[in-house]
Amino acid sequence: MSNEQPVSNSLIDSINDQPGPPRRKLLGWLVAGINLIVGGVVLGPVLGFLGSPLGRKTKGMWVPVLGLSEIQDGQTREASFTMQIKDGYALVDRKYTVFLHRSGEEVIAFDPACTHLGCRINWVGEKDRYFCPCHGGVFGKDGSVVSGPPPKPLEQHPVKVENGQIFVQKNV
Amino acid sequence: MAEILTPERPVEKTPLKPEEELLVDRPKLSDWLELRLGWWGFVRKNLDEPMPPGVGWWQTLGNLLMTLLMFQFITGFALAMFYTPSAHDAYASVKHITEEVALGSFVRGLHVWGSTIIVIFTVLHILRVFFWGSYKKPRELTWLVGVVIFNVILGFSFTGYLLPWDQKAYWATVVGTRIAATIPVVGHDLLVLIRGGEEVGALTLTRFFALHVMLLPAALMGFMALHLFLVRKHHIAGPVLPQKGKPVPFYPVQLFKDAVVVLGGMGLVVYLALAFPPALEAIADPSGTDFAPRPEWYFLGLYELLKIMPAGWEVVATMIVPGLVSMGMLFLPWLDRSPSRHPARRQWVIVTGCAVVLLIGIMTLKGILETPPPGAHGHKAAALKGSAPSAEAVRQAAEPPATAP
Repeated sequence: MSNEQPVSNSLIDSINDQPGPPRRKLLGWLVAGINLIVGGVVLGPVLGFLGSPLGRKTKGMWVPVLGLSEIQDGQTREASFTMQIKDGYALVDRKYTVFLHRSGEEVIAFDPACTHLGCRINWVGEKDRYFCPCHGGVFGKDGSVVSGPPPKPLEQHPVKVENGQIFVQKNV
Repeated sequence: MAEILTPERPVEKTPLKPEEELLVDRPKLSDWLELRLGWWGFVRKNLDEPMPPGVGWWQTLGNLLMTLLMFQFITGFALAMFYTPSAHDAYASVKHITEEVALGSFVRGLHVWGSTIIVIFTVLHILRVFFWGSYKKPRELTWLVGVVIFNVILGFSFTGYLLPWDQKAYWATVVGTRIAATIPVVGHDLLVLIRGGEEVGALTLTRFFALHVMLLPAALMGFMALHLFLVRKHHIAGPVLPQKGKPVPFYPVQLFKDAVVVLGGMGLVVYLALAFPPALEAIADPSGTDFAPRPEWYFLGLYELLKIMPAGWEVVATMIVPGLVSMGMLFLPWLDRSPSRHPARRQWVIVTGCAVVLLIGIMTLKGILETPPPGAHGHKAAALKGSAPSAEAVRQAAEPPATAP
């Protein structure tokens, strides 16, 4: 027991040596400030790092998808093409699909994603309609919404025809 | 008991024989630990936790959930040993786990079915607390933390669904993440943040994997510890109407009931994992047009709600309705101001709760009946059931269109 006495005494002494209330408050604020800086040094860059995809710019690339002779006037058909894209860390060959509709020399390319929630639409030639298998969206051959929940017409990709070849612009 | 375990040596010393002296200098491991950790007090406190009369089988669900979640951690850890979170290899690694690794299909089955069973029992646990009015003062925070845990569990489910990188996983995530894009103004940026880009791709997978195995488990452990601490601090609420009798300690009667329920719950998961091994569909194909996205069954109610919303109103189904339900759940203890826990004395809360549960149930059932089973290609199964709005048209779509290449 005897050798415990000095320990508790020195503990009490050290408590008595504490700085006065204003100084304690100031030190408390300084500790909070230091913690903010330390936390910010880590969290700031981490949040910026995680949010980096927001800053990524896409650019339109022209891709040949079909010969003009392969689609008849008034016809709608599916066409697939493969593009090399940068998917995060990897360079990959990604296959895309568009629906092409030809009227005269003009060709329209519709993105196959339903404008509701992105399911892939199906073209049903007999009905002249696109149908979404998810939530019952129906689009006309001009891409307009016929019925169901889609809020806007099908998205179009820019199209050009050169030397009998249909090119579609795809943002990557 | 306490005297035996208290590791202090007797004050009154009687001359000891040498072999006795040796014994005292080498205390039992439990005594040694007790002196350093004081663990026995903690164990004792939990085993002696008073259970009000009337507490019984319904109060076993929390323990069951804790055990099942712990098993998810173990099976998840095992799966992560064989899994590769890259768009190039994820599918192959899950295929390897399922088809080649010894017991791989079973371990994956435990993880997949465990997640489903956890959702079911979490809902039952929430309903029990809701009808018993156990969220009332002083247990508001216990309820609130519980609702947060429920959302963490749903987060696990949503992020885990993508990891096999098959068609089902890919397309459910395409649609699920698009839900974020329906939020006005910030929707698109949020979509890019969640996906790690414009499209669901390699970075979506790494993001979901990081969330699934790092952030969500850490959050779950923290919130579960807080939930348990609060449950122990305020004790179990007991039946709505106090019953006669004295509280009994948690050990052994209630702990035995807990153990029986844990045995039953684990038995169910093991049975499902063996009887219905987890499926793996074709590898994710972003260009495919013949796959009908289908979320996990407990999101089907939301999926159905999306069908009935008119154009331009989808934000009601994606944000407003789920948001209101979530907010209503979070702030239930403050919405329900009546001091009584008796269902008859808080009618509007009970009626509203029943209506919400009934509607979710009906929508989920509708979704289950109308949505193609796993592995089926969307339009074919929908046409077979004759339920989708465009059933006639999609049946024709099932036949190769003349215009297709």
